[in-house]
Amino acid sequence: MKVLMFGWEFPPHNSGGLGVACHGLTKALSNQGAEIVFVLPKKIKIEKTFFKIKFANSKPLKIISIDSSLTPYLSSHQYSRNEEKAGALYGRNLFEEVNRYARLAKRVAASEPHDVIHAHDWLTFPAGMEAKKNSKKPLVAHVHATEFDRTGGLNVNQKVYDIERAGLGAADKIIAVSNYTKDKIVSHYGIDPNKIEVVHNAVDPADWQNAGGHFGELKKKNKIVLFTGRLTLQKGPDYFLSAARKVVDYYPDVLFVFAGSGDMERKLIEGAAWLGLADKVKFVGFLRDAKLEKLYRAADLFVMPSVSEPFGIAPLEALTCGTPVLISKQSGVAETLKHCLKVDFWDIDEMANKILSILKYGQLREHLKEQGGREVGKFSWQEAAARCLGIYKGLTTV
Amino acid sequence: MPSVCFYFQVHQPYRVKKYRIFDIGRDSLYFNDSSESNLNNIKVLKKVAEKCYLPANNLILELLKKYPKFNGQKIQKLFGVKPKIFRNTELIYNNELAREVEKMGYKGILAEGADHVLDWRSPNFVYKPKGAKKIKLLLKNYRLSDDIAFRFSSREWRDWPLTAPKFSQWISAINGNGQTVNLFMDYETFGEHQWSDTGIFEFLRHLPEEILKNPDNDFKTPSEVVKNYPAVAELDVHNPVSWADIERDLSAWTGNILQQSALKSVYDLEKAVLKTKKKNLIDAWGRLQTSDHFYYMCTKWFADGDVHKYFNPYDSPYDAFINYMNVLSDFKLRLNN
Repeated sequence: MKVLMFGWEFPPHNSGGLGVACHGLTKALSNQGAEIVFVLPKKIKIEKTFFKIKFANSKPLKIISIDSSLTPYLSSHQYSRNEEKAGALYGRNLFEEVNRYARLAKRVAASEPHDVIHAHDWLTFPAGMEAKKNSKKPLVAHVHATEFDRTGGLNVNQKVYDIERAGLGAADKIIAVSNYTKDKIVSHYGIDPNKIEVVHNAVDPADWQNAGGHFGELKKKNKIVLFTGRLTLQKGPDYFLSAARKVVDYYPDVLFVFAGSGDMERKLIEGAAWLGLADKVKFVGFLRDAKLEKLYRAADLFVMPSVSEPFGIAPLEALTCGTPVLISKQSGVAETLKHCLKVDFWDIDEMANKILSILKYGQLREHLKEQGGREVGKFSWQEAAARCLGIYKGLTTV
Repeated sequence: MPSVCFYFQVHQPYRVKKYRIFDIGRDSLYFNDSSESNLNNIKVLKKVAEKCYLPANNLILELLKKYPKFNGQKIQKLFGVKPKIFRNTELIYNNELAREVEKMGYKGILAEGADHVLDWRSPNFVYKPKGAKKIKLLLKNYRLSDDIAFRFSSREWRDWPLTAPKFSQWISAINGNGQTVNLFMDYETFGEHQWSDTGIFEFLRHLPEEILKNPDNDFKTPSEVVKNYPAVAELDVHNPVSWADIERDLSAWTGNILQQSALKSVYDLEKAVLKTKKKNLIDAWGRLQTSDHFYYMCTKWFADGDVHKYFNPYDSPYDAFINYMNVLSDFKLRLNN
């Protein structure tokens, strides 16, 4: 099975869960015998040795990078700002660049033999559609997030929506990362539910075995409640901050750590100061790998307060590191993870109540750590890859 | 000649309302939820009364007039007599309990006829608890009981639909190989667990008539069974047995660390509570020991199926635990004041 895959980022150059998911899935797919040509936009060269190490003992993975300034989670506004600095090499706006990328993708499709095309999220949908036009091979559209998740349903960008809808319409099969996302695809994009398969994301425990969890004095005096993710509306960091205010009134010896960056960062830092939480809240920026793992391990509780989370890999990472989790009910992972606490993202009182319960009731913390740690083992990329292979086989005669 | 011996459990707990950490020290009314949720005890009771208690009471009164032997003639005296038969919470039972209960003057005790307790023996005889002197042990025939209580409306069941004549044949088939068929179940089986439109009331209406068609069959109360039949053997039940889940043990209430720590926390208060001699505190403490609170914290159903979920008014076992522990924190504050 030869797969032409269009993605956007790959660790260590990822900025979010999309890269993690693409990496985990691709690795497991090539492990199960799929030959993958992974196409992604890059301004800089990819370190080939990294992939040789990562994909040892698997089918060889071919990485093709197309020269482009696209990155995921980019808004058209941000794109314009970046391009003013970069000069005239790339498209004048985000949508021009997406189309330019699609034209280049078509050439790749012509030169790389493949049985099926697999495109991840809207930025690659035009590329996937162009490739399909060229090779007449079936197109699988993989939805990790929709415009409705990214915007919380407010100020949906019509152009992005149109590209998403065109891609979903052109696809022969759609993979949604959750039933939560599947429902959104059906209700907002008018897609036949029978065309959509749900394949949950996973976590690779091997990625989280590198760091010890010692925070020294800080940890001795305080409990740590952790948020990781982009500091954007979609991730709900502002709800988390409001809950923190309530928690501190009842349990002062606690630190709230925000690991991530994003357009809400300033607002949050100022907000923390206004709420009198300057010494209770730490903004540590975007972390990855061992540094992030250390934080996961140091935390007493991980909170994912997302306004709309198509899946949510981070709670699985936290559980893998032995930290119990409180997750938004407005998430895909909430539909399948049982041994965790759940809350409506807008219910700040209940969020604070549940954070406090974890801090106060040691048995609850231990139980969730142990049972959740066991349960997280069922989320495997091998399983997800097997489902994808099944979908490919249903579309091809290979 | 099998006697049919019915026992119904009527049980409604005081469910603890949504109670957050912020409520501790500010709100001492734990059981007064007035929302539309299933934590509203009055709402639940009214619903179950309408679906089960009132229609089932009517029907049983009707049947008692028609078939006085259906459930003994002493029903009018029910609340005036000293009980002779003991039935523990959720049919929890072991040797030690039987001996204690005998000391209290009871003549009989009920238990689950679990396979691991009976082995090759039949539940359709009267037994004597190991180490007891005279008290008799009545065991639930769980196959026939659950045919009514659980399987009655299940279309996947090969014996569906269950009719009164069919069930009566199964009872008659025990003739010569048993003395009593003990059918123990929730009273809520009639109209609540099995809704009226499943035909459960019609089944019950015709059951006495069908069973009594065979002159060898009759109905007996637990007291009559104890009086009329000798114990055929001694039964040794060291570990507690109950009627819950497939395990038929205590794991539904004490299976995880959360349940154990919640139980320990409430039991630890005994001395302090009794010392206050305050009726409102002693009552609240009693209500906080209702088995249901701990059943709601059970995490077995994640793997086992959804019986627990069906009976759980909280979103998850963890919500039940948090709520209960918050209430207990408040209760401790009240004790110390």
